[in-house]
Amino acid sequence: MASFTPYTYFKCPCTDASIPSRNLGDEQPPETEENSDDDRTFDPRAPRSNYSLYPLEHLLYCEDCHQIRCPRCVLDEIVTWYCPNCLFEVPSSTVKSEGNRCTRSCFQCPICVAPLSVSSLEAPPQGLGAELASQQNGPFVLNCAYCMWSSKEIGIQFEKPNGIFAQLAKIKNGGLPILTAKDRRKDREERKRDFSGSSAAEESQESEAPINLDPNERLDPESQFSNLKAFYQTQMAESSPVSALGFTGDYGYGSPGALSRIMGLYTGGSFADKKSKTKSGTMREARDALEGLQIDPLSSDEAITKLRTEGWESTASAEQRHEQTTHTPFLSDLRPIAYLLRTKRSKRCKTCRHILSKPESKVQTTRFRIRLVALNYIPSITIKPLQPPLPTASPLLAPLKPVQFLLTFKNPLFDSVKVTVATPAKTPGRFPTKVTVLCPQFEVGANTDVWDEALRDNHKSSSLSGEKRRTKAEASEGQHQAEAGKVWERGRNWVSVVVEVVPPSLRIGGSEWLKSEEMKRDSGNVRDGEEVVEIPVFVRVEWEGEVGGEESGLGGGGKEKEVREKRELAYWCVLGLGKVAVD
Amino acid sequence: MSSKRASTMPAPPKPPTSLASSLIIAEHASLTGTHLITLGPNTVVHPRARFNSAHAPITVGSNCIICERSLIGFQSDAAANERKGAVIENGVVIEVGAVVEARTVGEGTVVEVQAKIGKGAVLGKHCKIGPLCEIAEGEVIPDFTVVYGNGMRRLDSSGVEDLKLKMVARQIEVLKKLIPSNLAKFQ
Repeated sequence: MASFTPYTYFKCPCTDASIPSRNLGDEQPPETEENSDDDRTFDPRAPRSNYSLYPLEHLLYCEDCHQIRCPRCVLDEIVTWYCPNCLFEVPSSTVKSEGNRCTRSCFQCPICVAPLSVSSLEAPPQGLGAELASQQNGPFVLNCAYCMWSSKEIGIQFEKPNGIFAQLAKIKNGGLPILTAKDRRKDREERKRDFSGSSAAEESQESEAPINLDPNERLDPESQFSNLKAFYQTQMAESSPVSALGFTGDYGYGSPGALSRIMGLYTGGSFADKKSKTKSGTMREARDALEGLQIDPLSSDEAITKLRTEGWESTASAEQRHEQTTHTPFLSDLRPIAYLLRTKRSKRCKTCRHILSKPESKVQTTRFRIRLVALNYIPSITIKPLQPPLPTASPLLAPLKPVQFLLTFKNPLFDSVKVTVATPAKTPGRFPTKVTVLCPQFEVGANTDVWDEALRDNHKSSSLSGEKRRTKAEASEGQHQAEAGKVWERGRNWVSVVVEVVPPSLRIGGSEWLKSEEMKRDSGNVRDGEEVVEIPVFVRVEWEGEVGGEESGLGGGGKEKEVREKRELAYWCVLGLGKVAVD
Repeated sequence: MSSKRASTMPAPPKPPTSLASSLIIAEHASLTGTHLITLGPNTVVHPRARFNSAHAPITVGSNCIICERSLIGFQSDAAANERKGAVIENGVVIEVGAVVEARTVGEGTVVEVQAKIGKGAVLGKHCKIGPLCEIAEGEVIPDFTVVYGNGMRRLDSSGVEDLKLKMVARQIEVLKKLIPSNLAKFQ
């Protein structure tokens, strides 16, 4: 049986603000138990509550609204984009134009996703001064240090060790060059000029050797897209009429071209309209690869022979194919994967737009400029069993046997807080647990520095400090019996109280009158999660804080004449205590 | 820290050894067992490396690196065809914490950190057994195989074996300066 770690989840109030749904007709609204009214308890097992419960470390706190904020109710804004491999900060304009991958030399191995390194193929220099010779001229390859893959296996070598992304875009697997969009555009323009006049032919010969494109070539998806786009643009230009204002085609209802065209329909044929109509032709589809047409080969003989000779090991797995952008059935089709850029984000409160968390834009530092986390504002709760469990005992709770847990509330604020803890006598659900909090109201001290407290103790009368020491001594003696209404133990900024819990019996059968309402309605087997003892706890925290600035400074600030405002915060928590043994 | 109490257990048996003169063996390496342990020239044995020849002899070739806390040697009785015991060929690197009970480890193979090679396995030349990978008992790994991930295998066709052997030789040169050798203790 896996061991169980007790957990505390806090409920974010953002889910309560939702507008209740209207019921059309006479239907009764279904009983909902996720209502957060004080008279309705919070059901941690309801499907919706799954989305509002978070551990304290995941929550932020808005100082203006004085509310907890969860990851679902904060607005994200991107501070920087960076490559996780080279830690190079990419400006957002580059991200918009070049895409969200690293465009330098950061690649992942297509086989095992480990980082690829660039190395030279030429042998390292021998002889005297070998260590000093740093210049490496040989062709460069990418290789993986984990699975020993090398880009030689797909026939790709590079001339320079930098700017691999650009060099890779120009080479196909096997070493043949890819024609870039620029080259294709040039070729298209040359063809247009050749079509119109022969004088242009001399011009083109002077500039560069004309690229002869094969009308039946197999295009990669990017080239096919650019060819098709150019083709359709020319078709649109040729087929749509040129209106009086010079715009081709109509751009929606409001454009002047559309207006004149529609008015023309009503007024009937006029001379101007007939003239413009003769210019329009009909659009046609692409004819060959130059225009972007790709016909799939009727037979897949090539693939079948390749499979026959090389076998199943030469095919790429589903995960490997998933990372590639093109169709890659074989390992030799795989290409190195450029790293996806990551972002640093700042989080804002949805209601008041106050910034809750803002990391520094420098990638190497992990610090934060602003960090308003809930850990610094609301008391944290830790759970441990009151009697330390015997090492031989089962980690499960015995059903129907009362067991006591110790809840420790730790106060992060610089003021002392009054905590009120409320919990329903029986937890909601099919197998209710009986819960009793032995001390529902207590005060937790302020989180001052240790030295401050020591200095303050010296100024106060000795009797008070003696009292303090006495309570501590009592605690350290070990209260063997938990008393109702008294805290178990108290420290500088923490208090522990005892909670007694009687876990339910998970038996489905049994006499009718023993069953709870829900049990009568729904008697299936014990579902996943129902054997965990989860108790919803309503915590109310009251303290006196200063108006305006929040932090009172090291204890001394409160003494000055500042208005102290009574503040309170209330929220639901869910404490997971343990799993019940099946009897 | 209080001074350590000397162990009252009887000292483990000191095995017969045949050590090359250019071997670098750290003082805290441990050679135990009853069968012959042969360590070849120019090999480096880090401190806390363990050789156990209780069940079968151990042979290590030249230019090898045996790292800390590795365990070489059969841990249970050798079968009839494993009389020669564990044979590690030239240029092999056994990384930290690896457990090698293989019958043969081919030339230039790297057994990575905390890998486990089962008893009687045969590893080919220039293989790479990835970190924490396990090879079953008696398994035969062909030459140039890379074992990685969760039991994945592939053939390494990058053609850099010679470069790797050169790198191992350079590593040994550096280690020679760092590890003081104590041959006399083990002869």
